[in-house]
Order: sequence, then C-alpha cells, then structure tokens
Amino acid sequence: MADQQTIKVSIKRQASPDAKASTETFEIPYRPNMNITSLLGEVALNPRTVSGVDSTPITYDSNCLEEICGSCAMLINGKAMMACSALVDKLLGAAEHGQKPDLSKTITLAPLSKFPVVRDLAVDRSVLFENLKKVKAWVPVDGSYDLGPGPRQVPQIQEQRYPLSNCISCTICMEVCPQFNDATGFVGAATIAQTKLFNMDPAGKVLKEERLRALAGDGGIQECGFAQNCVQACPKQLPLTEAISDIGRDVFVQQVKDFFTR
Amino acid sequence: MAAAAPPAPPSSAPLRGVQPLRAGEGHSFFWRRLHSLSGIVPIGAFLVEHIVSNFEMLNGPMAYAKQVLFLNSLPLVRVLEWSFIFIPLAFHALYGVFIAVRGRSNVNVYPWAGNFGYLMQRVTGIIALLYIAYHVATQRFMGTNLPEHPGAAFAKVQHELANPVILAVYVIAMIATCWHFAYGIWLFAAKWGITPGTEARKKFGYVCGAIGTVLCVMGLTAIYAVVVKYPNAPEDVMPEVPAGVSRVAPVVAPRDLKAPLQVAVR
Amino acid sequence: MAATPRIIVVGGGLAGLSAVIKIAEAGGTVDLFSIVPVKRSHSVCAQGGINAAKDLKGEGDDVLKHFDDTVYGGDFLANQTPVKNMTAQGPAIIDLLDRMGVPFNRTPEGLLDFRRFGGTLYQRTAFAGATTGQQLLYALDEQVRRHESEGKVTKYEGWEFLSAVLDDNGVCRGIVAMDLRSMETRTFAADAIIICTGGNGAIFGKSTNSVVCTGSAQSALYQQGAFYANGEFIQVHPTAIPGEDKLRLMSESARGEGGRVWVPRDRNDKRAAQTIPEPERWYFLEERYPKYGNLVPRDIATREIFKVVYQDEMGIDGQPMVYLDVSHLSPERQNKLEGILEIYEKFVGDDPRKVPMKIFPGVHYTMGGLWVDFQQQTNIPGVFAAGEADYSIHGANRLGANSLLSCIYGGFVAGPEALKYAKTLKPQTGDGGHAKELARQKALNEALLNNQGTENPFKIWRELGDAMTKYATIVRYNAGLDECDAKLVELLARYKNVNLSDKSQWANTSFAFTRQLYNMLELARVIVKGARMRDESRGAHYKPDFPDRNDERFLKTTMAAFVNGAPEITYEEVDTGWIKPRPRVYTSS
Ligand SMILES: Cc1cc2nc3c(=O)[nH]c(=O)nc-3n(C[C@H](O)[C@H](O)[C@H](O)COP(=O)(O)OP(=O)(O)OC[C@H]3O[C@@H](n4cnc5c(N)ncnc54)[C@H](O)[C@@H]3O)c2cc1C
Ligand code: HEM
Ligand code: HEM
Ligand code: SF4
Ligand code: F3S
Ligand code: FES
Repeated sequence: MADQQTIKVSIKRQASPDAKASTETFEIPYRPNMNITSLLGEVALNPRTVSGVDSTPITYDSNCLEEICGSCAMLINGKAMMACSALVDKLLGAAEHGQKPDLSKTITLAPLSKFPVVRDLAVDRSVLFENLKKVKAWVPVDGSYDLGPGPRQVPQIQEQRYPLSNCISCTICMEVCPQFNDATGFVGAATIAQTKLFNMDPAGKVLKEERLRALAGDGGIQECGFAQNCVQACPKQLPLTEAISDIGRDVFVQQVKDFFTR
Repeated sequence: MAAAAPPAPPSSAPLRGVQPLRAGEGHSFFWRRLHSLSGIVPIGAFLVEHIVSNFEMLNGPMAYAKQVLFLNSLPLVRVLEWSFIFIPLAFHALYGVFIAVRGRSNVNVYPWAGNFGYLMQRVTGIIALLYIAYHVATQRFMGTNLPEHPGAAFAKVQHELANPVILAVYVIAMIATCWHFAYGIWLFAAKWGITPGTEARKKFGYVCGAIGTVLCVMGLTAIYAVVVKYPNAPEDVMPEVPAGVSRVAPVVAPRDLKAPLQVAVR
Repeated sequence: MAATPRIIVVGGGLAGLSAVIKIAEAGGTVDLFSIVPVKRSHSVCAQGGINAAKDLKGEGDDVLKHFDDTVYGGDFLANQTPVKNMTAQGPAIIDLLDRMGVPFNRTPEGLLDFRRFGGTLYQRTAFAGATTGQQLLYALDEQVRRHESEGKVTKYEGWEFLSAVLDDNGVCRGIVAMDLRSMETRTFAADAIIICTGGNGAIFGKSTNSVVCTGSAQSALYQQGAFYANGEFIQVHPTAIPGEDKLRLMSESARGEGGRVWVPRDRNDKRAAQTIPEPERWYFLEERYPKYGNLVPRDIATREIFKVVYQDEMGIDGQPMVYLDVSHLSPERQNKLEGILEIYEKFVGDDPRKVPMKIFPGVHYTMGGLWVDFQQQTNIPGVFAAGEADYSIHGANRLGANSLLSCIYGGFVAGPEALKYAKTLKPQTGDGGHAKELARQKALNEALLNNQGTENPFKIWRELGDAMTKYATIVRYNAGLDECDAKLVELLARYKNVNLSDKSQWANTSFAFTRQLYNMLELARVIVKGARMRDESRGAHYKPDFPDRNDERFLKTTMAAFVNGAPEITYEEVDTGWIKPRPRVYTSS
C-alpha cells in the first residue's frame, strides 16, 4: 500500500461525559468523493492512530447519510456542519467538483461545543426536543379517525410552511448562535421557526397564543441578538431570521394584549 | 395485572448543558424589549437632538451658547434630563453590559457580516458607556456649570479637546456611538418584526447606514468647528447680565482657514 | 386483565408512531423504544410521496383501482384482504395527515396536489415537495410528542431492542433492551409489543437505507420462533446515486415529473451528455414500454437498466451507470423536485437542472418481513409487527409511494389490535420468563466482550454486503445463491472469532453494531435460502434460468423458520379471494 494516497484526520475524543478530552490522529486511504462519515467508517475498519497505537472506532451519530435525519452535526475544521454532506475533497481545498484536493492538509473533527458530550463526537441534543414541547410544536387534531379532508389551503401558505417544515433538528443553528449558551438558556432559532410553522397552520393556530406566551419566557425569543449565524449555517436553509422577526412581532403583540386583558 | 411491573423512566441522565426554555416564566422579555426601545427613544432621540445641537458649533460659540441656553430654558429641564436621559441611559447601559457579557461571540470561527455586526454592537456599546460616563462627568458635572453659564459651553469643550488624546477619544466615540445607534435602529426593526423579509432588511440597512453617516458627519463637524474653525473662543460669550438687559453678542470671527492651525494649549 | 394495558412499540418510524398514536388515543400507555431519536428514523428519507386514490384530478381513479394496481404490481403474491383494506383507508389517511399539518403541495384552488408514480396510470401520489417522508414522520412525531407531554407515552430513545421476553407458553411478556449509552441491558414488561423496526438494507452493505436499517430486531424474533416471510423479495430501486458510503436514492418522482432515462446510442460516445442530440439518445424504457414509459414498476426498470449496462454493454463510458435526465423540465416542475435535486448537487457536485444525472440501481426495500396475520400479529402471541418490518401488502414488488401508506395503515391496525389482545391476556405465571431472557442476553454480551478472536466485525460486514449484492439482488442464479450461502456460513463461523477493539461499557457503538451483525448474518441466510428455493421469476425476484412466473408451484408465501440454527422454508397459500391472478405485463395492456 506504499503508493496508496492517504489523508490525515485529527479527532477530538472523550470517553465519557466526565472524562478528559484528547486528540487522536488517523491516516486514512484516500478515495475521491469521500465524505466525513465514510472517513469515520474507514477509521472503524482500522482503528490505529498515526503513531501506531491501537485505538477504538469513533462514536458519532449518523443515520440517513443524506442530510435529512439531522444526526451527524459536528465541528469539522472548527465549523459546525453535517458530517454526511461534508465532502472531503472540498474540505481539502478542491473548490470545484473533480478538482485535485490538497492531501497534505489535516481535517479536524470535534463534537458540537454547546451540548454535553456523550462520547467522542456524539452529543446530547435533547434540549431541542424539550423546547419543541415547551412551544407545543404540533397541531392539536381532535383525533386520528376519519374526519374528512382538512381545510383548503392556498399554495402560497404551503410555500411558506414547507421550508420551515424542512428543519431536521440538527441544532447547528443553536451551536453557531452566540446567544445560545448556559448563561442565557436561549431556545435557539429552530424552535422559533417551528413556532411560526405551527402558528401558520389553519388548525395549529388554536395554540398560537400559548406558543407566543411560552416564547416570551426567560430564554425566549428576546435573547436573540440577531447575529444571523443561524440562517447562514442552517444546512436546510430555513428562513430563520424571517421567522425570528415575524414571531418577535407576534410575541410582542401578544404580550401587550395580555397586559391589557389578563 | 398481566405485566410484572411498569418500567422505570428512561435512565438517560438529567439534561446538562443549555437548559430548555422556561416557557412563560420570568420578565426578561419585558426588560429586553424595554432595553431595545430605550435605545431608540429616548436615548436615540436624545443623540439626534444632541448632535443637531452640537452642530450649531459650526456657527460659532455664540450660536452654540444660544442653543445651550435654549435647551436649558425648557420647562422642567432638570426633570426632563433625569427622566429622559440619565435614567434611561443608565438602564440601557447597564442592561446592555449585562446582555453583552452573556453573549459568546464567535466571529473568529464564523466571520459573517451579521456576526460581525453583533460583536460591534457590543463593542461600540461599551465604548459609548465609557465615553459617556467620562463625558457627562466632565462636561455636565465638573468645571463650569453650563446650565448656569451657557455662554461658556463652547470654550469648555474646546479646552477639553485641546488634549489630543481626548480629541481622539471624542472622534472614536462619535463614530462608535453613531454606528451603535444606526445598527441599533436596524436591529430594532428586525427584532420587532418591522422588517421581517430579507429584502426589507437589506433596504432598511441602507437607510440606517445613511442615518448613521449623516449623524456621524454632523458630530465630527462639531468637533471640527471646536478644534479647527473657532480657535481660542472666549471663555464666556454670555456673561451674566442683569435681568431685562438685552444681550449684545460679541462678534467672534471665524479663523482664517488658510492660516496655520494653533491649538489653544493652556 | 391489565387495568390499563401496557404496550411496547419498538421503532419510531411511520409505522411505530402510527401505532403509538392509536394506542395513546384509545387510553393505553405506551413505551416507545428506538435506537435513534424517533425524529431521525429512516422514514425521513422517503422522498416521493404517499399513495391514495382520492381522484382529485378527474381521472376516474378509485380505491379499487389502487387495490388492483398494488396487487398486480406485487405480482399477486400479497394477501389481498389487507391490501384491499389499506387502499380503502388511503384517502382517509391522507386527510388525517393533512389535518395534522403536513405541508402537502396544493393546487391553486387549495386542494391537495397529486403526481404520478410507477406502476399506475393515475396521478395518485400526494407529496410535500420532495421530502414527503420527512414531513409525514414529523407530523406523527409531533402528535406523539404531544401525547408524551400529556404523560401517555414514554420514549426510550437510544435503546435497542434485543429480544422478546417469552413465558413458558411462548407468550410475549415484554422485551429485553439495551441502553446504547450506559450499555445497561434490562427487561421491560408489556402485555403486547409491536415491532416496527423498518428495513434491512444494511445486509447488502451499501443501500439506499439508513444506517440503523439492519433488520436486527426482525432477525432476533425469527431466531426466537417468529416466521419470516417472503424474505427473498428485495426491491432494488432503479435510480440511485452510487456513492462511497451509501447509495443515495433518486426518487421515482424525478420520473413522475417527467424525468427520462437514456444512454447514448453509441456506446463509444464520449461527449458531455447535454451536447448529445436527441436522435442519438436511446430512451430504452420509453421504447420498450410505450404505455408506462419511464414509469414502469421498479423491478422492471431495474432489470432493464441492468441489462442495458451488463448485457448490451451500453453503460455511460462503460461504467455501470445510465442517465436520468430532468434538465429538459420546466423550472416549475424542477422546483417540485428541489429536495432530491439538491441531494444530487450536494453529493455529486453537478447541477441536475442542467446536466443529466448518472444513476444506477441500488438495494432499497424489503417486501419480506415478519409474518403477520390480518391483525398484524406474528405467530408469537403478543408480538405484532407493522411497517417495512412486516411482510404484508407489497407481495413480490412494492409500488412507489405505497410503503408510507402501508406503514401508517399497519400501525393503525397493529395499535388497536395489540390493545384488544392485551385486554384479554391472561396474567403471567411467575416472572413471565424475564429473568431467563435477561440472563441469556447478558451472557451474549459477556461472550462478545470477552472474545479473544482476530476478526474485525466491520470487515465481516463488508464481505457480507459484497456477497449479498453480488448474488442476491437483481439477477439470481442457483449456483450463485449456493455460493452465497456458503459464504454466509463461513462468515458466521468467522463471527465466532470476532474481536472488539473497543470493550468499554459506555456508548460503545461498535459493540452494538457487532451484536446486530450476527442477526444480519442469520437474516441474510433467510433471504438467500428463500431465493434459492423459489425457482421462478416473480416481481423483484428474477432468475434467468426460470424466467416465468410459476403460479402453480410458487403462488405461495415463503415462510422461514429458524430450525436447528438454519432457515427452514415452508409455504403458505396466498389469499387471492378478490382478484384472480393474471399475467403481469407492462409492455401493453
Ligand atoms: C431513500 C428512500 C426513499 C423512499 N421513498 C419512499 C416514498 O417516496 N414513498 C414510499 O411510500 N416509500 C418510500 N420509501 C420506503 C419507506 O421510506 C420505508 O419503507 C418506510 O419509511 C419504513 O418505515 P418504518 O416505520 O417501517 O420503519 P423506519 O422508518 O425505518 O423506522 C424504524 C425504526 O425502528 C427503530 N429500530 C430499528 N431497529 C431497532 C431495534 N433493534 N431496537 C429499537 N429500535 C429499533 C429505528 O430507530 C427507527 O425508529 C423510501 C425508502 C428509502 C430508503
Ligand atoms: C461633538 C461631540 C460632543 C460635544 C461637543 C458634546 C458636548 C456636550 C456638552 C457641552 C454637554 C453639557 C451640556 C449641558 O450640561 O447642558 C454635553 C452633555 C452630554 N452629552 Fe455630549 N457632546 C458630544 C458628544 C456626545 C455623544 C456622542 C454622546 C453620546 C450619546 C453625548 C452624550 C451626552 C450626555 C448624555 C450629556 C448630558 C446631557 C445633559 O445633561 O443634558 N455627547 N455634551
Ligand atoms: C452606554 C452604553 C451602552 C451600552 C453598553 C449599550 C449596549 C447595547 C447592547 C449590548 C445592545 C444590543 C442588544 C441586543 O443585541 O440584544 C444595544 C442595542 C441598542 N442600543 Fe445600546 N448601548 C449603549 C448605549 C447606547 C446609546 C447611547 C444608544 C443611542 C444612541 C443606544 C442605542 C441602542 C439601540 C437603538 C439598540 C438596538 C436595540 C435592540 O437591540 O433592539 N445604545 N445596546
Ligand atoms: S433550523 Fe436549520 S440549523 Fe436549525 S436545527 Fe433546523 S435544520 Fe438545523
Ligand atoms: S444566530 Fe442567534 S442571535 Fe438570533 S439571529 Fe440567529 S438566533
Ligand atoms: S446522517 Fe443523517 S443528516 Fe447526516
């Protein structure tokens, strides 16, 4: 395998939530069109570091491998990205498809920094699901039995709702947000976008006021400092700042109404 | 009962890290929105007023004195000053510091325009805080009491700016404050849902940029007037006169701009 | 009888969540187990849409035509009664999903929009952009979250089902599951369990499936005595994007919206695809199937592409690839495909709006699965199954966009049926077999951790995938299948010698994977054995040596039982009570 081209990947590892973190570097046989998940697969196949120490396969979350399940968010070369859609060639500097990458560069992988590490690159992101519960991100249907068709909906509404419904709960928008941290306990952009999605639904509307009140709680929408990283980094290109703006207005109006009527 | 025992809840550890939304709890929404609003009115409004007033310096010490006199002759001026300037400003400043220290800026990793703006809003806010504290202390509460001696305003500022370090501080603070205010209006519109669309925010960005630039230029013009245009202004262009006697304005000639600059050093 | 029956649902894809919703709604309490957070289940990957004959396009479609298309598309191997029920419920299920807030595409009048899919002549597929599965899964996930917040559902995300707990009478009393973080293995009591653990694409190494689609749970149950039915029917999707780690699907909707499959007429044509003029392109599907054109059923399209590449040697540049072209479509049509076109652009780097895509068939779906009766119950009392994990509905070949429907339908049947069963269940004697099963699973864990062998489990998996893809996918020969089974036996032997490089007991993913690998190997044998014994061609199962369908011998359900450590095959009559089997030809009709 002497002439086999290789690439180096340096991975931040941590055995358990309380263990100390360390970094291991692996050398991986290079093939064109690899992505980070296939690279991690190669490590599992031969978990031996560059210095020849026998190590273990990397623990990380993944499932769909096509950027739709939202599992595999991690820091790749320091930036939050989806591992399955992060192409090695591009990370190594091949600007265009088919161009030759620079194999001397090292790729670094680390877990998302704002979530508790479970192990290696796997983190606990359940806070997002908790937040979705807090804003009642669902349509409270009467029941799952046959109640006939839903209300008619002009395509324009669908066209606004659909992009919001594409959120894969990857939490990248939260990771990159300067306001999302222990001090603020900010909900993050994803939950705000989901609030908008359900407030726009003809039947989901009935919970609109409750959702808006929830979002006025501590850690709510007010914590957004409009840094706009969320919208830049979101792999699904959700119109997050637009949602924050819209919901910001709605929450305010609701608070004023509540002030005078409750 | 058929089943032996109900299973225990999932053994996943209690949530660590960033905590979930405290839905409907607390009052931070109110304070945060008040902070946002206070930046526009009254503080922003005051800034506009202040810069417009200071722009009078371009017309010389007398004109400026009149302006200061006018402002100080407003009814209940002390009450207005405290309730519309000092208290809101103190609130905005202190709460602003509280906001700023709780953010975790990451422009080094994500060098994007919005993120840069976010950081700058904090940096310029802190600059404004330090500057205003110094500026108000020296101009309003130390030295000649300007409400009583409006005629001394021009000179007082001029003495102050005679020190090049202070001059630099004023210039930097002026730019920083105008940036902070202009971007602040933009932020306000975005957060309150006045400009929800990307396109709207872009267009409003130009408007805010224009506002900021105009204010900044006007502010710097005032500094220019003090430092360059009217050197060696009289100590007091409005000496105390008995009531009923109309003042005669002493003429202060503008400096010959072609002559070499002489900064009054005392 | 239990005061409130306790049901365990394993799997949080569409099928599992549907079952949970029905049970929670009926007042039952549910424990929901899933390896991945349910919102990340494989169902999110479904792109194209979900079928239901609502006939909103004035084409005269109706549920009986949907029924017929499904049975005919499945080459008459499916039991017809459940198919009939499913197609009849289709429109109501779509309405429900619509009410739950799924952002289905709309017509200008505000009604649901429908598109055409393979194996039918009607526009019967409702869709939400090109991410229908994601939207449906989210809608159900949200409903379950709502029930969860009301205390009716407890989620055990990050827990893997290892086996069922069976009492002395072979009645299911719960499950053994393992926490994939703490690696704690324990039992959970239940009056009935519903297995909704999806597909088994991982057995073929690379497939269009998600990583957790190993079929491990189904295999574990098969090894505990459940019948595994029609295992040999594996759908190979005609259009997938060959990739390093996975075959990414290019949904049938690409063809539904007018996408065309072709190769250059001249096999030495080296020109860029866009520059090849129309007459020099060979639209082989349209030429051979004038009526259905590019929308012939998947098994047929797959075999045609396979033939063009390997028999006619007409693959692009001699590679196993053909063009799927949507570049001629109007921007509006392309917009409807946005999600999937993005996948191509993201993972391949070319813009399919301008350049024809290069695609090849990839393993996609298993028609086979746990045998269930018409109430979705397996032959183990108290074990129900639904979704891709069961074998019902699709027969020898699944029609596009029927799976999402069958998952929801299956869950909607299994949930209430499990509840009904649980209410009449006699109390268990003793501990119901919990201690024994737990001890068995713990012993397996111990053995694996203490194994001192030399085999890397990931290498075994790779060899498994290669063998299965080579011998047991599009074209099958008996000699090859024999060779494949020999390989599986060899791999099972080598498995005994596997060595875990990671022996820690915290979030040890390779440990969990290695456990699943064993189950994959056992299930692979079921697939191969079933294929070996079925000497005919039907639906997705194609043997050139037996090119015709043989109803006399094989209009039967393959039933695999785990006997003495190997699959034993028997056959069961198929319910053909509604539609008389007829030859399946798509060239004309
Ligand atoms: C790329 C792609 C596109 C598709 N497009 C369409 C389409 O357009 N239309 C259509 O009708 N069909 C489509 N299908 C098929 C359809 O998506 C699947 O058949 C369907 O989603 C299966 O759903 P499910 O509920 O049975 O299982 P899944 O969604 O696969 O869920 C399985 C669940 O079981 C859990 N699980 C698995 N094993 C265990 C275990 N041992 N212990 C605990 N939990 C476990 C998993 O965590 C997961 O929650 C497509 C399939 C693929 C691969
Ligand atoms: C060209 C630059 C500036 C000049 C020449 C200037 C001048 C003055 C003077 C002379 C006073 C005293 C007025 C009085 O006591 O009635 C004053 C007060 C004050 N200035 Fe400035 N100023 C400048 C810039 C700024 C800036 C950028 C700010 C920031 C917001 C600011 C905030 C204040 C405040 C808060 C007071 C006290 C207000 C009051 O008591 O009415 N100034 N300034
Ligand atoms: C004195 C020290 C000051 C500090 C520490 C400070 C701090 C801040 C901070 C941190 C923000 C950002 C809030 C957020 O993003 O959520 C902010 C916003 C703002 N500030 Fe200040 N500020 C100060 C002075 C001023 C002054 C003098 C003005 C007016 C000229 C002003 C006007 C604004 C406006 C308009 C906003 C936007 C409000 C919003 O966030 O919606 N600030 N300030
Ligand atoms: S909004 Fe975007 S970045 Fe945030 S969780 Fe959803 S998909 Fe991820
Ligand atoms: S990055 Fe954060 S501060 Fe607001 S605009 Fe986005 S949520
Ligand atoms: S593995 Fe699903 S998003 Fe990457």
